[in-house]
Amino acid sequence: MMKVTKILSVAATMLAVAPIAAQAEDTIKIGFVGAFTGALAPYDQPTLQGVQLAVDQINKAGGIDGKFKIELITRDMRSETAQSAVMTQEVIDQQVNVLLSPCDVDPSVAAGQIAQAAQIPTIAPCASTPTLPGIVGDYMFANYTADNLQATALAYFAQKQGYKNALILLSRDTPYTEKLPLYFAKAFENKGGKIAGTVEFKMGQQDFSAEVTKIKGISPAPDVIMTAAYEPDFPAFIKQLRSAGIKTPVLGSDGIDSPTTLGLGEVAEGVVFSNAGYPSEGSSLAKFNADFKAFFKQDPSAVYTATGYDVIKVIEAAIKADGDKLDGPSIRDAIDNLENVQVATGTITYKGMNRVPLRVVALNRIVNGQKTHVEDIVPNGADVPPAE
Amino acid sequence: MAVSAYVVPQAAKSAIVLGAIVAIPCLLIFALAQGPIITTTTNFLVMLTAVAALGIFSGNSGILSFGQCSFMALGAQISATLTIAPALKKSAFPLLADAIIQSHFSLPIALLITLIVVGLIALAIGLAICRLNGSSATIATLGLLIIVESLIVAAQGFTRGNQAVYGIPKMTTLPVALGLAVATLVIARIYRDSRAGLLLRATRENHAAAQSIGINVPSQRLVAWVLSAMLSGLAGAMMAHMLTVFSPKQFYFDLTFSIIVMQVVGGLASVTGSLAGTVLITVVVEILRRSENGLDLGFVQIPQIFGVTEIGLCLIIIATLYTRREGLLGFAEIDRFLPFLRPRRSDLPRDTTAVADISRKPTGILRIDAISKAYGGLLAVDKVSLELPVGQILGLIGPNGSGKTTLLGCIAGTHQPTGGRITIDDIDVTGLPAHRIAHLGIGRTFQNIRLFTHLTALENVQAALTQRWPQMGYEALTVAALHLLADLKIADLAQRDAGTLSYGQQRRLEIARALALEPRFLLLDEPAAGMNESETEDLLGILAWLVQGRGLGLLIVDHDMQLIMRLCNQIAVLNKGELIALGSAADVQQSQAVREAYLGRRHAERIVA
Repeated sequence: MMKVTKILSVAATMLAVAPIAAQAEDTIKIGFVGAFTGALAPYDQPTLQGVQLAVDQINKAGGIDGKFKIELITRDMRSETAQSAVMTQEVIDQQVNVLLSPCDVDPSVAAGQIAQAAQIPTIAPCASTPTLPGIVGDYMFANYTADNLQATALAYFAQKQGYKNALILLSRDTPYTEKLPLYFAKAFENKGGKIAGTVEFKMGQQDFSAEVTKIKGISPAPDVIMTAAYEPDFPAFIKQLRSAGIKTPVLGSDGIDSPTTLGLGEVAEGVVFSNAGYPSEGSSLAKFNADFKAFFKQDPSAVYTATGYDVIKVIEAAIKADGDKLDGPSIRDAIDNLENVQVATGTITYKGMNRVPLRVVALNRIVNGQKTHVEDIVPNGADVPPAE
Repeated sequence: MAVSAYVVPQAAKSAIVLGAIVAIPCLLIFALAQGPIITTTTNFLVMLTAVAALGIFSGNSGILSFGQCSFMALGAQISATLTIAPALKKSAFPLLADAIIQSHFSLPIALLITLIVVGLIALAIGLAICRLNGSSATIATLGLLIIVESLIVAAQGFTRGNQAVYGIPKMTTLPVALGLAVATLVIARIYRDSRAGLLLRATRENHAAAQSIGINVPSQRLVAWVLSAMLSGLAGAMMAHMLTVFSPKQFYFDLTFSIIVMQVVGGLASVTGSLAGTVLITVVVEILRRSENGLDLGFVQIPQIFGVTEIGLCLIIIATLYTRREGLLGFAEIDRFLPFLRPRRSDLPRDTTAVADISRKPTGILRIDAISKAYGGLLAVDKVSLELPVGQILGLIGPNGSGKTTLLGCIAGTHQPTGGRITIDDIDVTGLPAHRIAHLGIGRTFQNIRLFTHLTALENVQAALTQRWPQMGYEALTVAALHLLADLKIADLAQRDAGTLSYGQQRRLEIARALALEPRFLLLDEPAAGMNESETEDLLGILAWLVQGRGLGLLIVDHDMQLIMRLCNQIAVLNKGELIALGSAADVQQSQAVREAYLGRRHAERIVA
């Protein structure tokens, strides 16, 4: 009699434990290694907010495909490359299925290499250097609008406006401020435009009088000036350019998508710049912004919130596509074959793009100190200059 | 002349203990643990290498350097260039010479080449930086940090410019990092007590005194600078091979700050401090960052707070600087806390007779011939001529501002005379730098005692002795130093830090140190200043022994007329830079000019009348 009771109790225990075990199997773990402190925090934190919103929405709706609840494991890498490697190892030891890496190339490479060895797909939510996936290997994906993609959209626009000669203003201090204008130059030349000149600056130099004089002296005078400069260089440059009486149109990149630029007044009027999306009425981005405000009780501080949201949507789509398999190789292959995934900023395509996605680039014009929508462009993959 | 590169036995023992303290836990972690702690430990060892490398220069010279990270950047750059696969190199560094692109080295050879190249670069830079003193040297190292970063960014094609260098083979495993970190620690510890380290620490403690015993300050700094740069380069290469990716911004202010914090918290002037600082900061960061995610302590729940790590670190720095300005260990090494590492009295050589022959008394005359020193239009010393044969005492007196100390400075080489000649016998020593003059037979003591405060009494004398006899080994130096200390009756204080001695003992030590160079002439600037009667009496005995026992010629500046009158064979009186009287005590006392100088003309006349 005693024996039977014992067996029964064991069976009961097993029955009680079983559903919990099954539930544990039905979670997907996503590791987020990013900066909570230091220089990268202003990029990684909005990204994380977007990620959290997407995770919350999906989990409330019953999980990915109605099955997999998402468990988010976050770690602070303090904007240090070495810590990025340590934290990545930590989240991998917790058996994450997918890893999200920090907003810069070095720490993303450090994280990606460890994940690559462990065959865990890694997505860099907001690092924009297009060479990143190539450096790390076939488990590394980019997410954000790559520099060469943005540059191509700007080149389309320049060509459509009928500009013949363009001048690029670049700084060799960071890959972003250097390569983006160079990609633009390539794409613009491919479309039949000419580069009238290249002018260099030093980040943080304040005084642009030498550069402005150079631009004045270039013959034939350029029809358009393109730059990837941002604060505090862009405001200083545009003020000095306009006060020197040069009225040439200026194209910028998403680095100047900030309240500072809008607040520059008369000098910034008419400046056109690219970014990851414009929340026109009824668009998915407008909906995202509304959801964001409802969830966090504040407006999104940067477009990285939306692109962070996108990453989770990409992972969701990949798991749906691969028939609910959670192993690294399956997810990897599934992401690599995604086409036209609906995300907050529009659509994303990885298929045939070597893990640097094709996505919408929005062009905005500053009118009366307000951001107005010009158009959304999804460049043709063949027009995008190769990453270097 | 052969220079002895001795290893102090105690330093070697201390180095082994330090190495073991690092190696044993790290090996245990390597054998038993896995996962992120391996990476954390490896990272700790790389930082330890960088901190110990910084300590070699900054700790021993007392000049805080912001520039070591630039050598880390160079080390990373060079080692990466040598080890990246040729195919990748061709696209990453298109401008490099073909021979370099095709080369592909193993880690040991790559590190060796890296060390040599970084060492040569550091040598060229050090020739300029090591001439600067104090904060101007620090500012120069700051400039170096910025210049090297800019150059690496600008040399795109040879480097990756501002972009990430990647594809670096991962070769810094925990055992490799451990081996290199322990080696660096051992080198740093042995260097500290070596001849070069001792001399450099002397310059840190007192620049002028170091020169007075013949130390060429820039060249001693240069030795440490190059050694420190090479090991910093090693740390940079280790970091590159640990992360497998880096860009120039990685070796910039943030890393510089981390390394300096570790060294400063641990104790800037101590190798044990390098280790303690690195361990403390690493452990605290690891604990704090875990609490960042929120903690459940049972009775209270701590919510997730980010930034705890930064706040905690800053609090540690503030607390350290507030309570222990010199860091946790200050100037102490681990020897101070482990009795079996401390030198026992019985370890010191007993036989203190086997010293160089001092029974032979020196000969010669110090001639000062029409020496002038002008500051702009002001003549501080105006054509003063004096003679001092060995075995004589010449007193130099005069009212405040009469030019006594300036004249002494001209003789000792700390001031450049603007006219006239100084000779010892036939050797012209006019205008030679202080450290050269020290080697030519003129020793000095200072108005305010200038000892190497944080060095032991023994080390104070050893530093001077090794200048006189560079070929002497450690044992012989110790014997000779103890003999000198015994001459001045302070042998039992040999192991005490000079700064902890009483005033009279310090004065004796300063004289012992000056004697170590076997001077023929000794310049004493106010030796009795601040002494009470019995101390003065004591001093008189020593001075008499210097002249009669050792046969030196003394030039004494003092305000104590009693002392001067009793002691000196001849007295020279200066006023407004001019020599107004020279002669015996009695002659000078009678001199009208002297009275006028001291009392003013009217008073002087009244006394005569």
